[in-house]
Formats: sequence, C-alpha cells, structure tokens
Amino acid sequence: MEAESEGRTGLLFRMEGISKRYGGVRALENADLPVTAGRIHAILGENGAGKSTLIKVMAGVVAPDEGRMLMDGREVRFSSPADANAAGIACIFQELSLIPDLSVADNIAISDPPRRFGLIDRRAQRRIAEEALARAGASDIHPRTLVKDLPLSRRQMVEIAKALARNPRILILDEATSALTATDVTKVFSVLKRLRAEGLALLYISHRMHEIAELADECTVFRNGRKVATYQAGTRTDTEVIEMMIGREYSNVFPPKPARAATAETPPLELKKLGWTGRLRDISLTVGRGEVVGLGGLDGQGQRELLLALFGVLRGCTGEVLVDGKPVSISSPAAARKRGVGMALIPEDRKTEGLMLPMTVRENLSFAVLDRISRAGIIDHAEENRLIDEMVKLLAIKTAGVDIPVGALSGGNQQKVVIAKWLMRQPRIILLNDPTRGIDVGTKQELYQLLRRLADAGASILFYSTDYDELIGCCDRVLVLYDGRVVRTLEGDGITEHALIASALNIDGPTSKGEAA
Amino acid sequence: MSEMTRPAMLRFPKLFRRVDPAVATAFACIVLLLIFGSLNEPNFLSPDYLLQQLKVASFLGVIATGMMIVILLGQIDLSVPWCVAMGGMMACAAAAFGPVGEALAIPFGIFCGMLIGLVNGVGVAYLRIPSMIITLATNAVAQGLMVVYTGGFSPQDSATAAMRIIATGELIPGVPNAVIIWAIIGAGAVFLLTRTTFGRAVYAIGNRERAAYLSGVDTRRIVLIAFAISGALSAFGGVLLAGYASKAAQSMGDTYLLPSIAAVVLGGTSILGGRGSYLGTIAGVILITLLQSILSVMQMPEAGRQVIYGIVIIGMLLLYGRSPASR
Repeated sequence: MEAESEGRTGLLFRMEGISKRYGGVRALENADLPVTAGRIHAILGENGAGKSTLIKVMAGVVAPDEGRMLMDGREVRFSSPADANAAGIACIFQELSLIPDLSVADNIAISDPPRRFGLIDRRAQRRIAEEALARAGASDIHPRTLVKDLPLSRRQMVEIAKALARNPRILILDEATSALTATDVTKVFSVLKRLRAEGLALLYISHRMHEIAELADECTVFRNGRKVATYQAGTRTDTEVIEMMIGREYSNVFPPKPARAATAETPPLELKKLGWTGRLRDISLTVGRGEVVGLGGLDGQGQRELLLALFGVLRGCTGEVLVDGKPVSISSPAAARKRGVGMALIPEDRKTEGLMLPMTVRENLSFAVLDRISRAGIIDHAEENRLIDEMVKLLAIKTAGVDIPVGALSGGNQQKVVIAKWLMRQPRIILLNDPTRGIDVGTKQELYQLLRRLADAGASILFYSTDYDELIGCCDRVLVLYDGRVVRTLEGDGITEHALIASALNIDGPTSKGEAA
Repeated sequence: MSEMTRPAMLRFPKLFRRVDPAVATAFACIVLLLIFGSLNEPNFLSPDYLLQQLKVASFLGVIATGMMIVILLGQIDLSVPWCVAMGGMMACAAAAFGPVGEALAIPFGIFCGMLIGLVNGVGVAYLRIPSMIITLATNAVAQGLMVVYTGGFSPQDSATAAMRIIATGELIPGVPNAVIIWAIIGAGAVFLLTRTTFGRAVYAIGNRERAAYLSGVDTRRIVLIAFAISGALSAFGGVLLAGYASKAAQSMGDTYLLPSIAAVVLGGTSILGGRGSYLGTIAGVILITLLQSILSVMQMPEAGRQVIYGIVIIGMLLLYGRSPASR
C-alpha cells in the first residue's frame, strides 16, 4: 500500500523559469512550479498576480516568452490547447465551455467524438459519457439531457466529466467552484479527493481560503507575476498567507484625503436593498456629497453589476434608488444622465463600451453632450469646439488634433477621452468601473488627482477598482462585496490592504462583523 | 496660426475634407466606364445622353439614400422592392379618389412606405429581430398586400400630373426635375449625417452600439427613425418611378434591391456600418447606372446582362469594398 502510493506520487510536471509579457506588462516572471501526481496543489494570489497566465501557459493557450516545461522529465512545448490535452493536461475554467443546445454526451465527447464509418457513433459516445459522468460522481445526469436543461451546479459537474473523458494526468480547476452552492462544493470536493487517490495531479485555483484549507496538500503563492513561496498546506496561518499575497510598497501617488465631518445632509445617492437575479443581494449604501466611495472585493463579486444596475443597464432590478432623497426609476443610461439625476458611468472596457474607436476624438468627446449643444437636433459647432478645447486642456489629452480617430491615441489618453466625454455633462454622481486598467502610471496619477478634485467640487463618486492600492489611496470609504453582498465597510484608517484582502476572501476577522451593513 | 485656419477648415464640407480611397476609386471607375462606353458608342458622351443617365440614376439615388442610412447603422433593408412598388401603387390608387386624393397622392405613397419602415424599425430596435429577417418578412407581407389589392394584375390607376412632373418635367430648362429632387434629398442626407445629433448617433451605433447606448443615447429610437426614413425614401422612389412610367407595375421595385445595396457599398460605406460618406453613395449610384446603361447599349441579351452585372459587382467589391470593413 505504502509502496504503491509512493510509485504514483513522483514529480509529474515541472515549470522552470517561465516568463510571459503582454506589451510592457510582465504577467509572469521566472515562475517555477512543481506538480506532483496524487496531490492537490493550490495556487493563491491577488487579482493580476499571474495565476491565470500560469494556467494559460500550462494549458497551451499562450506560449511563454522564456522558460521551459518538463513532463516526466522530458521537455514539452504546447503550441495549442490540443497539444496540452494530448500530453494529458485538462482544464476546467470558471466560465463554462459547454454548448447549451447540445446533449450532455455531445458536449463531453465534443473535441474527439468516436466515429464509425465517418459518422459519430452515438452509442459509443453515450458509453464514454456515462463512464466520465460516473467518474465525476454525477452518474445521475442522463447523457441525453440537453445542457441548457441542467441547473448551473450540474453543468459544472458535466464540465468536470468532460475534462475527465480526456483521461488527463493533470487536472486544472480555475475558480471552478465559484458558481456552485455549498452542497455542490462538498460533492465536487469528494470527487476531487477520489481523483487524487487515483493518482491524478490537481491544480486548484480558488479565492476561497477555507476551500483551500480543506483540499490542498501544498500551496504556491504568486504576487505580481512572481512566485513568492511553495509550502505544505497547514504550515502557514491565514495572516501569513495574506501577508505573502500583499504586494509591493505603495508609493505616495495619491492626493491627500480631506477630513470628513459627519453631516446630516441628504446624500446625493442612496440605495436601499438593491437586488438583481441573485447576482446582487440587498445592497444598501449611500454616497455623500464630495465623497469617494470604493467598491472592493475580488473580481466578479457583483461590483460591475452594481454599477450597471445603477446606470439603468440591467433589467429586473429590485429595491430602491434615491437621488437627493427622492426615489428615481432609472430605466436606461438615457434616464441616468438626465439633469435631475446627473449620473455618469465610466465603463469598464473603453474599446467596446466607452469609445467608438474609428470615429474622431471630436465625435467621441462631444457624443454624450450632443443633446445640450444642439438645437432641434442640429449641432452647434462653435459650442462643440469650445467645450472640446476646454476639456482637452483640462485633462491634458495628448492628441494630434481633434479630427483624428480616437483609436490612434495611447491607452491612457483614450481613457481620458472617455472621462472627459462625461465630465462635459458636469455629472453629480460619477460611477467608475475599474477606470485605470491598462493605462500607464503617469496617467493613473493624473486620474487620482482628478477624482479628488471632482469630489472636492461636490461630486459623489462610486469607484470600483481591482487594484487595492487605488482603493486605499483614493477612497474615503470602501464597501467590500462578496457574492453580491456588501460584507464589510472600511472607513478612514481602517482601509488597509490586510483588511481589504481579509474581507474580500470573507475570512471573519475579529473586527469585521461590527461594521457590516 | 492654427487658430486661424481651423474655422476655415470647418466651413469646408466634411465630405470633401478627407477623400476616402474607396470614393476616389468609385469616381475613377466612373471615368473608366465613360471612356469604355464612348469607344463602343460615340453618342455616349453627349450631354443629352449623360443627362438621361443622371435622370435614371436619380431614382436609384433616392432609394440608395435610405439604404445608406440603414447600412451605416450596420443593418440592412431588404424590403426595398415592395416598398418601392407599394409607394408607386398607393400613390396611383390615391389618385383615383378625386381632387383630394390627387393632391395627397404623393404624401400617401410615401406614408405607406414609411409604415413598412416603422414595422422594420420596431422589429430591429425593440424586438431585436435581425434586420435581414424582419425586412425580408415585411417585404413578403407588402407583396402580399399589393397582390390582394391589385388582384394579381397590373393596377389600372395611373399617376397624377404632379407625379409625372416631378419625375419627367424640367422646371429648370435642361435639368430634369428628378435630378433636382435627388439633389435636394442628397443635400438633406448630407446635412442629416454631418450636422445633426441623429447623424452622429447613426455613425456611433454603426461603430459600437454598446458604447453609444452607454453614452445615454436612445439607440432604439435612432434605429427606428432610420428604418422609417429608408421605407419612406424607397416609397418615394416608387412614386417617382410611377410618375416616370405614368403608372405603377407589380415588379417595378424588384430591380432596385441589389443596385441600391451595391451603390452604397461601392461608394465606400462599410457593410458593417459606422463608416461612409454620401459622396461615395452618389458615386456608387452613378457607377451602377452607367454600368447598366453600357450593358444595354452593347445590346447584350437580358440574361447575359444579369450575369455580367452580377460578376462586375462582385469583382468591384473584392477590389475595394471589403478592405475598409475589416478595420
């Protein structure tokens, strides 16, 4: 027994000195990772620590710039996901890869269906599916059911079965449990433990610390694209782990925050029990005049949905939105930007949501304010030019004239155009959805200064960022979201990286309960 | 110094400011066709003949204007054939109802086409039906309605005097009224596309509908209006055609679907939307009209003419129609 397990648990796969750069950004630098058969290896790290790049390299989705990968001691190169599959590496991603209108069996066998006379052998396919489902501990799922008829948690089981049908030696689970309920997670865990006993190597990426504590044999922490440490599970405390995940010292790039006195003034924006299809639950918050309120938490805990719901993009929201104490119904962005509401949303992706890239800087800048600079639908060009000149100067947008396509500008300047286009309306409530992603440090600093200036001028700002430093540096208050709820409110000096990460991971610290809304 | 030159730049019409390579190509093709035509037929370059071509082109020009606005949105209007027929037939039908009917014939024909356009617009903008499907369906419905109305025969009502005048008369000696009508509608389209919030919104939606929507523009209303304009202009084209031929005919619109799309795309408007100038559409319309004319001057039999016509359009699109779209 002992000897048998010894034989199975040799070093199966090894990454050595893997580096990957995207443009100027180092996503992964000199990363090493040993993967052992019969062990569950957890990967930890903040957003953007390099975890997903690591997985993509392993799965053959991206090619590393430097470094090598060894499988069974021999060097391997994957030029496509199919190569990685053939080598015995299978991935289960957070976003489901199943095709809803095909049956479970069709989905499981989709990459290489069994063939007979050139046609798909349905009987063999069904047999493969049944075996895979049984192995995934989901033999209650009928192979002929359509995937769209299955609830989300069952689909995740099909996803696991699909990966197992390829007979992998290494199974990678990237946030694979984030869509599951607690009972389903328990089921998945027993399956994973059984697979481990069968001698598979499992790589497990999750933000849920208690899951890692329950499952992992060893853990590796990443930070800023570098590996910090690999350690045996249970040898570090949660606090130590969080300290390993906390990154660089943050430099003093943020403008000072003014002291805020509690006022009895009606807040310009108030939410009462906002909900949306289970993705947002009972969110109540206020944003005062001149206040910058941050939204924290891990990526995808409902922060984006919250901003979109406020801006009238999402249908079927419950709860109440009050502007200046008066209930308003915001059914579309058009309603949100009206004078009585005065809201602006700086969207997440400037290329698809913020700008019309082939159109000129002028056309993009004035687009949101056209209704105010036109009479009977005819644009007043003099007024348009005046406003545009003003904005280009105010935000120091670097452009070779306003009649060139906005797509020709640098990322930072494009982002400035997105912000400028909304500032032209002089909004009273500004929603920002991760506005500094992919822009240079200099422009970031300018944006921080701008945010504070706008707040000082009386705007109410709700600011979502995936960068904890920004939340700490810019915000007067930070609401941490977890699973669509506000789990904690941090204020003033209480906004620390430690507190942010601890509450983002929903670890109940001794002081966390008191301030939860 | 740049402060000085800027206002002057602005007064200079936008459509000339940056000449699109596709527009230039279209005009170059027109010149080539004229040379080729004159080699075959010496009368080809006579003012009379060219004016006649321009007159024929103006019917297509009116229809292509509406098509262009819809294509700029990234959509398409396949209900053109029976919007044209309906416009012509309904205008002639109204003419049968005494002096009041005669006076209202033209607006009534346009109104009927606009109704079809509104249905298209509601389907695309509010019900989110792909425009290719809904406009094809409304085209079939319009055809059905017209067949029921005429009993399957050519309608007996004839065009009013006003319809004949706008299509064939010459208010300014030497310049056909139809050309003037096209010029007015074209000027209106240029104004609409370059000077109004509606025009900006059309380009914005064609480039990135999501960004336009998130900017707080009522994108659905813009789409609805664009389809209504397209339907109305198609019907107006039908009214002109009925005036030209003195009466409406069952299949009068059938020969306008492909040419109207081809004219717009040959003029450099991206079939994916968001990009294109009216100058290009003018070039495309003239190009298509000349091509048809040369093929008939060469006394090519109808079947061969269709084949060559189709091949030439595919060839031209391959030549330059696709490259801007991939941007």
